[in-house]
Amino acid sequence: MSQLDPTLDPALDLSLEAPRRIRRGFHVPGWLALLLSNTKSRLGLAMVGLVVVVAVIAPWISVADPNGFSLLAARQAPSWNHLFGTTDQGSDIFSQVVIGARRSLLLGFFAAALATSTAAVLGITAALLGGLVDDVVNVLINIFLVIPPIPLLVVMSGYVQDHGMTTMIVVLALVLWAFEARILRAQALSLKSRDFVDAARASGESTARIVFGELVPNMISRIAAAFVLVFYIALLVDAGLEFLGLADVSKTSWGVTLYWAQTNSTVLQGEWWPFFFPGAALAFTVLGLVLLLAGIDEFTNPRLRSEHKPHRSRLRMLFGGRLATREEGVS
Amino acid sequence: MTAAAPLEVQSLTKHFPIGSAVRRAHVHAVDDVTFELRPGTITALVGESGSGKSTVARLLAHLDEPSSGAVLFEGSDVSHVRRRRDVLRYRSQVQIIFQDPFGSLNPVKTVRHHVERPLRIHRVVPSNQVEQRVHELLRTVGLVPPEDVAAKYPHELSGGQRQRVSIARALAVEPKVILADEPISMLDVSIRIGILNLMARLKEEHGIAFLYVTHDLASARYVADDILVMYAGQIVERGPIEDVLSEPLHPYTRLLLDAVPDPATKTDAQEIDLRKGDTSAAVDPSEGCRFRARCPLAIEICSQTTPQLVEARPRHAARCHVTAPAS
Ligand SMILES: Nc1ncnc2c1ncn2[C@@H]1O[C@H](COP(=O)(O)OP(=O)(O)OP(=O)(O)O)[C@@H](O)[C@H]1O
Ligand code: SF4
Ligand SMILES: [Mg+2]
Repeated sequence: MSQLDPTLDPALDLSLEAPRRIRRGFHVPGWLALLLSNTKSRLGLAMVGLVVVVAVIAPWISVADPNGFSLLAARQAPSWNHLFGTTDQGSDIFSQVVIGARRSLLLGFFAAALATSTAAVLGITAALLGGLVDDVVNVLINIFLVIPPIPLLVVMSGYVQDHGMTTMIVVLALVLWAFEARILRAQALSLKSRDFVDAARASGESTARIVFGELVPNMISRIAAAFVLVFYIALLVDAGLEFLGLADVSKTSWGVTLYWAQTNSTVLQGEWWPFFFPGAALAFTVLGLVLLLAGIDEFTNPRLRSEHKPHRSRLRMLFGGRLATREEGVS
Repeated sequence: MTAAAPLEVQSLTKHFPIGSAVRRAHVHAVDDVTFELRPGTITALVGESGSGKSTVARLLAHLDEPSSGAVLFEGSDVSHVRRRRDVLRYRSQVQIIFQDPFGSLNPVKTVRHHVERPLRIHRVVPSNQVEQRVHELLRTVGLVPPEDVAAKYPHELSGGQRQRVSIARALAVEPKVILADEPISMLDVSIRIGILNLMARLKEEHGIAFLYVTHDLASARYVADDILVMYAGQIVERGPIEDVLSEPLHPYTRLLLDAVPDPATKTDAQEIDLRKGDTSAAVDPSEGCRFRARCPLAIEICSQTTPQLVEARPRHAARCHVTAPAS
């Protein structure tokens, strides 16, 4: 071990974590190891991973054209021919569900990426720069926060002619970024008061470098949490709009399958499968994401994190001034 | 001009608004502060909590902008420069070390990152020599073997070691001035002397001008050449440290010295704790001496006119109507 001037500095803190590894000889990146070390996020990761795999191999496992039209095959209960049964039109629901997974994942991913990056850049920059920039961003955040998202989406879907996925992604990001921006701004504000930000400024770092090089790496878990949250909210909202028929109902997605099941009142006729399978796929994906989020939250929460820090700084951070006053009272 | 002072401060003033918009008041955190930092000299800045010491250091480090007054770096006023090139030039000469060794390093970055960023920003050495220079700097501040230390994260180091990393980071740009804001007050007593010795060595070997902010008179006496005593935003006494501590002029300095516990007599009747502070005297101050409420020597004029810093002895000035009267 290093000899850090032993006569002057006897208190070398050796409680450092060993490089994380899950199996002997098999190294994984730190963040993945962290996710795998938590039961919830491990399960969530496995569930989401399964959906991703299905989406990737969808073209090969979908046995039929998801929009295939065959009155002969209409309204069949699940069978070996049609694992998830068929619709009114005779389309294979299994094919619809696996192909639909692609849309859900792409949409969720890009909506989350757009909303989270907007939230992170605006929230953190505002917190760091303060003053007028902060005021403007704050007003923007508050405007978007008071607008109720679902009615806004319904209205927008009514106006926007183009119901393509890009439009949907932008619309979803627009209604979801503000919530995250507020949280990230608050976290950046508390980080900003730590001296290392001033130290970086004194070293000559530019604002952009302080945001992306110093602050963002400290906020990764919170940003990841924001990403996952927006991901599944986007999934749910998108499916909801489709279910209500407020989207393009000619494409293949879980919400659209649900919409047609509803429109043709299949349940009234005893056909549960057009509802059950896309619904279950949606629920499975969202549950996986929720578990992932719960896992991330657990190690973002400082009380639950096992990172070693000398006790004094931790206590000071938690109790701030109170501890200091007490010390003064004693002396 | 004698050994040119790289950093000169003239009538520096910083007011902070406090309270609500309705009952707005201003803390005169720094008021009419004038001094200079000379090469190869450690100037101690002492005063109780809230007296404005950190604010002075932050103003000099170009982290806050003064309300008025000037910070002269090699003759030109830098307190309001905004252009990145000019700010960078200043930062390459004036560096700051913060009090909290746990807060001043980025927890997710290695020691190497902290020391090499200034080298790269200011292009102190060519890219291919950065690694080598990082190791040299770590060795200079007593962190050995540097190869091991460079790869560590802050939480793997003790408080004293982190403070050494901060010093290495400040040294990286080869500055002329280092502002050290209570660099040892949060360290274990046993390792404080090491940091003080390091400062003294850097002063000797590199001719650096230090501003050593502290509320510990003993450490100031140990390491500093000059001393500035601050009270409620103003410098109340200034001079060579031996003169000031052996024959203090200002009643506040005397009080401070009396407060240092005397083991022989065990009297602590007059003890004042420098960590506690009474900042009320700096909130929208009225005309008169800010120390008058606590001053045993106060006379009538003390509440009528504000005393000025007067050189009552060679290089030794105080702000007091009674002990350093204007002639
Ligand atoms: N950003 C700020 N906004 C408002 N008031 C401030 C700000 N910074 C400092 N002050 C006030 O200015 C005064 C001087 O503060 P400063 O931190 O400079 O004192 P200090 O001498 O360093 O004290 P300490 O020994 O506690 O570090 C205090 O009354 C403080 O409350
Ligand atoms: S001016 Fe008056 S009140 Fe102020 S320190 Fe001197 S004697 Fe005391
Ligand atoms: Mg301070």
